Amino acid sequence: MKRLMLLSFVFLLSGCSDIAVLNPKSVTGQEQAYLIWLSLGIMTLVILVVFVLFAWFTFKYRYTKNKDGFVPTDVKGNLKLELTWTIIPFVLLAILAVPTIMTTYDHSPELQADNREGADKEGTHINVTGQQFTWTFEYENGKTVHDELIIPEDETIVFHITSKDVIHSFWIPELAGKVDAVPGRVYTYEIKDAERGTYRGKCAEYCGIQHTNMVFNTEVVSKSDYEDYLKKPDNQDD
Amino acid sequence: MYIPFFEKHVPSDVIAAWVSVIIIGIVLATYVIKQNKWSVIWEYMRTTHHRKVGTLYMIFGFLFFLRAGVDALLIRSQLALPQNEFWLFQFQKYNEVFTTHGTMMIFFAATPMLLGLMNVAVPLQIGARDLAFPFLNAVGFWLFFAGGMLFNLAFFFDSAPAIGWTGYAPLSTSLFTPDVNSDYYVFGVQISGLGTIFTALNIIVTIFRHRAPGMKLMRMPLFTWASLITSFLILVAFTVLAIGLYLLMFDRMFDTKFFNGPDGDPIFWQHLFWIFGHPEVYILALPAFGLFSDIITTFSKKRIFGYPAMVISIGTIAFLAFTVWVHHMFTVGLGPLVNTVFALTTMAIAVPTGVKVFNWLFTMRGGVLRMTTPMLFSLGFIPSFVMGGVTGVMLSVSAADFQFHDSHFVVAHFHYVILASTILGIFAGIYYYFPKITGYQLNEKLGKWHFWLFLIGYHLTFFPMHITGMNGMPRRTFTYDVGEGLTATNFISTIGAFLMGIGVAVMFYNLFITIRKKERVGSDPWDGRTLEWTVASPAPEDSFQPMPIVKEMDPYWYAKQRGEDLETTDEKLASPISRDSIIPFIMANLLAVLSFGLMYGWIWLAVLAGAGVFMCFIIRAFRDEREQYYGKGEDGHESV
Repeated sequence: MKRLMLLSFVFLLSGCSDIAVLNPKSVTGQEQAYLIWLSLGIMTLVILVVFVLFAWFTFKYRYTKNKDGFVPTDVKGNLKLELTWTIIPFVLLAILAVPTIMTTYDHSPELQADNREGADKEGTHINVTGQQFTWTFEYENGKTVHDELIIPEDETIVFHITSKDVIHSFWIPELAGKVDAVPGRVYTYEIKDAERGTYRGKCAEYCGIQHTNMVFNTEVVSKSDYEDYLKKPDNQDD
Repeated sequence: MYIPFFEKHVPSDVIAAWVSVIIIGIVLATYVIKQNKWSVIWEYMRTTHHRKVGTLYMIFGFLFFLRAGVDALLIRSQLALPQNEFWLFQFQKYNEVFTTHGTMMIFFAATPMLLGLMNVAVPLQIGARDLAFPFLNAVGFWLFFAGGMLFNLAFFFDSAPAIGWTGYAPLSTSLFTPDVNSDYYVFGVQISGLGTIFTALNIIVTIFRHRAPGMKLMRMPLFTWASLITSFLILVAFTVLAIGLYLLMFDRMFDTKFFNGPDGDPIFWQHLFWIFGHPEVYILALPAFGLFSDIITTFSKKRIFGYPAMVISIGTIAFLAFTVWVHHMFTVGLGPLVNTVFALTTMAIAVPTGVKVFNWLFTMRGGVLRMTTPMLFSLGFIPSFVMGGVTGVMLSVSAADFQFHDSHFVVAHFHYVILASTILGIFAGIYYYFPKITGYQLNEKLGKWHFWLFLIGYHLTFFPMHITGMNGMPRRTFTYDVGEGLTATNFISTIGAFLMGIGVAVMFYNLFITIRKKERVGSDPWDGRTLEWTVASPAPEDSFQPMPIVKEMDPYWYAKQRGEDLETTDEKLASPISRDSIIPFIMANLLAVLSFGLMYGWIWLAVLAGAGVFMCFIIRAFRDEREQYYGKGEDGHESV
């Protein structure tokens, strides 16, 4: 039984290389994936301890015929043991808390007064607007495109995210975590150094009847290709 | 498929629902007429006795649980394959079905079934003859019933809400969902929430005022402790929900702008909702923790390991429950400081929860574990809940949560914790307390089938969902593409969901044959430890005559060990008098009619129903149903 569990765990880990969120294609995503791996590691430790104790106690102390009429001695508690399993979790959580705080400070989206605030941040700026049920991307030169996002590789991209109606959420799983698009608010969110490739972007906050289909295509291209792309006309009406 | 009906095109699932309800109604009516059971129905409509009200809570909670379970199977059928087109459940229909699944499970299945168990067990565990306010108890139940029925009606009129069980503004305001659909959510949840608050008040007063002599707080069984602390959580959390729903109702009915426009803010709703919503998770979990504690001690033949630590942990969890709500809002953009603070408070909750898990394990250590059905559910709970708990810690890492949030990973997490604690707890509680409720014991063999089918189905459904989520599947989407790597895990989840469905069907069959067999059991079928096993099965209406005196924890167990009877006293205690009354039933259902009038703009109906409710207040104020009991005591006032 235990071996079976261990085997399935190994199988699980080997399968993880394909999982989008655990194998992201940007520095931002990798920093978030590191936190996921770290917390998964610490928590696996906890799980193993509980599972071993659980399996051991359940098996050893199960009822068998020769225990008929046996009344176990009462144990009221054990301060040392109880302190152990109060303090050790604290330590484990403290270990997890430090990188959590650091990355959270670095990654948390920031509220801006409007689209222009935060424009001094270094990087390529793109305005993202969610609206039932399309995404609109506006580039620095004013070029505006629906449901297709082109960004240059190996650069910091500063997204200015807002919504025109209900709450949406801007998410490219293979690149980085999501940020809500809230009407009346503009958030800046940075994705650093994306790798070249094509990724699927999604709306992650339920927004109405076509929520499922509120997807967009993301392409990370070389810097020169990006410059060329900006020069091309919109080909789309606003 | 849409079927033409009176110049309208009615979707076939609505027709199916009408047809099945009419058929079930006819079958039930024939049964009632043939067996001449009208008197039983009339009795239960008027009852204020805690066991009967508890039974009603369980019956209707279970009914709504079945309906919400069917919703779940519809969801899983639609998601079984990529680009699937199962029946009608895409777009609006899918959105309706996940909304009703969540709302029904939380408000109309899990919460009421736990309140039902509290109703049955808490007075018996502390030696009280009834809840402190029997009339209010009936009002609480019928409000839940009325709210639940109102919410269910929506489906039959093809206007189920489609805003998610969280009802996020501004989507839930009249700006974006002007139809009555969302009103069903607002009014249904509001009415039943009111009932929940009343019942919580009742439990608090009962535990503080009606304990048997010598039943000190630190001698109470852990289920009673959990019920007490849960009731405080309900009192605060459901009040906040009520406020949120009132504001939303104003936004919808009277065009106020609390949650949109230049002065309002949709984020206000999220704060209000999650200040309710997070404690709600513990409102669901804590009573289950209490049940598991009692069941594990009973079937290990050992007292609980570290009783004071268990009580303190429940209290700590309850307190921390009010300090973590923003972890549902990490992606809302409240800033790095807020995100960090709430990440830390969330992590802190893992500590008292861990203490409880280890104390359960060490209660088992050195005992004799009898593998009865309630014990199996309790044992199944421990590893399953820990798996849900650790993903909770992973979610508390706020920067990592940017990836997890609103994906199937979160769906996996909260189903893991809620099913492991609440649902397994309710199942354990039903098997454990069935003798106290009905006088019969459920079939153990079928119980074990139920347990294994359900447990395997549960892990099969929700374990792969972690991977589905990390592969980029957002929640509340009705389909996915072939190349996204989501097909295999989704398909496994669907198989698991149907296994769980079969498990519940086995339980239903078990209930059916047990009640038909009518094999009575004695007062103490499980070799119990606490006071409820000293009264007859089913619990009589005048329990604890004479009143036992409690001198230690688990008094019944130690008395049995010494071969003694519990010491008793003839001294009279102030005890509530439960008298039948139809007013709670009328009052609550009129409130539902009032809501119906408001929703559809039939003001005359609302006014009439409102006047009716008010009349009930007046009648109740001038009539004391306990009147005939007065004057019968020694000094003319036996009861308070």
